[in-house]
Amino acid sequence: MKPPSCRPALLGLVGLLAVGALAPPSAAGAQIRHERLDNGLTVIVRENPVAPVVAVSLLVKMGTRWERPATVGISNFVHAVMVKGTAKRSGSELAEAVAALGGKISATGDVDYSEVRASSLARFWRDVLGLVAELALEPKLRPDEVDREREWLLSRVQKRRDNAPSRAVDAFYAALYGSHPYALPVLGTPESLARIDHAAIAAAYRAGYRPERMVLAVSGQVAASEVLGEARRLFGGMARGGAAADPPIPAPVASAKRVEIEMPAQQSQILMGALAPPLDHPDHAAVKVLSTILGGGMAGRLFAELRDKQGLAYTATSYYDPVREPGALVLYLGTAPENAQKAESALLAEVERIRREPVSADELARAKGYLLGRYVMDRRTNERLAWYLAFYEIEGQARDLPERYQRAVEAVSVADVLRVARQYLGVLTTLVVRAR
Amino acid sequence: MVTGHGSRVAFLGVFLLLTSGCAAAGAYSATSAGPPKPIREVLPNGVVLIVQEHRASDVVAVQLWMRMGGRDEAPDELGLAHYIEHMIFKGTRTRPPGSIDRMIEGFGGTSNAFTSYDTTHYDFVVPVKHLRATVELLADLAVNASFPPDEIESEKKVVFEEMNLVEDDPDKFLLRRLYEVAYSPHPYGRQILGTHEFIERLRRDRLLAFYRKYFVPKNMVVVVIGAVKPAEVRSAVAAAFGKIPSRPGGRPELPPPPAIDASRRVDVSRPEKQAYLGLAWKTAPTGNEDIYPVDLLTYILGDSPSSRLNQAVREGLRLVSSIEAGYGAWQTAGLVTVNARLDGENVTKAEAAILDVIRKVRETGVTEAERQRAIITAESSYAFDIETAEGLAKSYGQAETTWTLEDEIAYLGRLRQITAAQIQAVARKYFGDDNYARVRFVPEGTAK
Repeated sequence: MKPPSCRPALLGLVGLLAVGALAPPSAAGAQIRHERLDNGLTVIVRENPVAPVVAVSLLVKMGTRWERPATVGISNFVHAVMVKGTAKRSGSELAEAVAALGGKISATGDVDYSEVRASSLARFWRDVLGLVAELALEPKLRPDEVDREREWLLSRVQKRRDNAPSRAVDAFYAALYGSHPYALPVLGTPESLARIDHAAIAAAYRAGYRPERMVLAVSGQVAASEVLGEARRLFGGMARGGAAADPPIPAPVASAKRVEIEMPAQQSQILMGALAPPLDHPDHAAVKVLSTILGGGMAGRLFAELRDKQGLAYTATSYYDPVREPGALVLYLGTAPENAQKAESALLAEVERIRREPVSADELARAKGYLLGRYVMDRRTNERLAWYLAFYEIEGQARDLPERYQRAVEAVSVADVLRVARQYLGVLTTLVVRAR
Repeated sequence: MVTGHGSRVAFLGVFLLLTSGCAAAGAYSATSAGPPKPIREVLPNGVVLIVQEHRASDVVAVQLWMRMGGRDEAPDELGLAHYIEHMIFKGTRTRPPGSIDRMIEGFGGTSNAFTSYDTTHYDFVVPVKHLRATVELLADLAVNASFPPDEIESEKKVVFEEMNLVEDDPDKFLLRRLYEVAYSPHPYGRQILGTHEFIERLRRDRLLAFYRKYFVPKNMVVVVIGAVKPAEVRSAVAAAFGKIPSRPGGRPELPPPPAIDASRRVDVSRPEKQAYLGLAWKTAPTGNEDIYPVDLLTYILGDSPSSRLNQAVREGLRLVSSIEAGYGAWQTAGLVTVNARLDGENVTKAEAAILDVIRKVRETGVTEAERQRAIITAESSYAFDIETAEGLAKSYGQAETTWTLEDEIAYLGRLRQITAAQIQAVARKYFGDDNYARVRFVPEGTAK
């Protein structure tokens, strides 16, 4: 079985489990141009001549990080309604128009941002960029579409609650983050979705879609200067929204706790973890390595010890996604109900062991190879390349973050792993979904 | 995705359904200079090497394509080619069970494998610095697989599970049954996964005999695409694969399956609440000039919400909740399939409506707008396929083993030259009112 994705919104980030940054020769040779338009919108273009395709990623600072329990899910809700039509065409006409370019378009909310993404044959780059602009700047947001999408979102929330792994992930984040917004589910709750009406959708759209809060990235077989010119034409007319700084979010407070839920399921789920550094923290690379040694693939300790040797779990892995606010290092087991108790003890023993004993040089080297390899592997398509460019920018990171990060991964020592294991895995949150 | 569309794309789409993957999970040039070309070379022992620089990212795709597949099995050993696909990653003389997966994972790379009727392929994608080690691994797998007895037994459970999964998925199962009903007892009508009975009894000597017979240099095609210099690849491949002793081998010619007639129809009672209807026409094989218009016709019939079948049968008559067409082109035959999900009471009407849509194409042809739209769809799926090193490697490996590399490279150019009249002509040539196979899944309790 597949590991549960860390909340739907984090799906995009799962690949980033492997963030490192090997500056590939191809990347070094690639033309990347940045420009901040007069109204504050950032445009990034990467020329990638290899295949006749183009990908567009438009990120906007809207997401659960800015949401409150009463209206959680509104960022994703707004985007679900946006794709249903613009001032110029209906949702199905939009889908037809993009299909005629050999492309696709979609929009979703996430944790630290929301995204409109599209791709097409490269020779239609101007048309596909135009459709992205139309969707982002002139969405129709029809009241009847709000009602229709609410029904659809409610069914997805229900489906998530009926699925043991996804329910376990949501409950774990809720327990770990407490009153911090990262505790909230990206899809929202039945209560919040019922409360969000057309007026709220329209207001959230207006609050989010301001040029200062937006980053547009384009990657593909295009000429950067032409794309920049077209981006200026399409987005340059947006009025400044006023760069109100986001109010600071009080940091989550770590507290040891254990939560248990019961539900009908084949497998029991065990999630154990703790608050971890945000993506620009000096310890980020070391925690990445720590996470990989514990739960990165078949040679990770959880898989090798708990699954292969002890037969206590079917799924055994770890997550540590890069986010702006404090992140979460999560160790995950899916196990037969009769093994759940033993598995939890064995998982705790692995945490204690890595806080007590230095890891071997072999394990460290393997973890680094795995992380750096996955980093390269996750940058194979223009869709991913465009997203990465926009992601680092929207997170306010320096442009050399990937390069610095890769060096940081390579520099992680055995002592670093021990230190961060002791520092970050001291206060644990545990969530168990017991199958009945 | 349920089916592939168009011959070269259908290779992939139909692969997903009819084959089984086992494992977990253009050079720089001025745009005006035209697309880069692969270099093809035959080593003295018969191994074919195809290499191309493709600097989309810092990875390299290393694939071994075998001119061997489900069609090469004897009638009493169905499932052997696929079983070998599973076993080959289990170890070699010098690599213990588990070590291969771990090695690739330690590189941060991925491995996968697929068995089909005409071919089998083993794929790796790794960061480019691991090129040599990966080529060496692939050569080791090609001749030194150890087939550990314990692993042969334990893998049976995995394959049985795979069989169950296909049956559980009505879309996949419908397509498999369609091929079976259309072609059986011809090898293209076989179940790639084989039969439970044969796998249950399968022993090591049987696996080894098949492996030794078919894993010979002249059946091997090594495809390496990525951020590499061709010379570097050539030296690595020549060293690892060049030393494999040349041996006789090769496969017998496969005659094409006979024409389909109205006797090829089956109803299956299934647990789903909805019914499924699948129709299949025998069309052009790879290497035949008709693949281009058949490909476009398939897009026009059933690729998108604006396709003919969608507009007429789903939107207009509201007889089905989904409908689509796919084209699988194989070495000696092609099959265009149309499948729909619908209410059980509509199966007869829906079938008549599908035949009407096709009849109309035969009588009045397709529009220029439809032709252009189909070409753009074909171009787009090709472009996104070759965006990654592994995608480009796949299209080259497929072409080399089932038609030719030149045909693959020329494919889009030829597609663009096809006229609306040629599309109408293949509709007339292949799609009749009674020369199709049919499979219907009817909800349990309503079967007549």
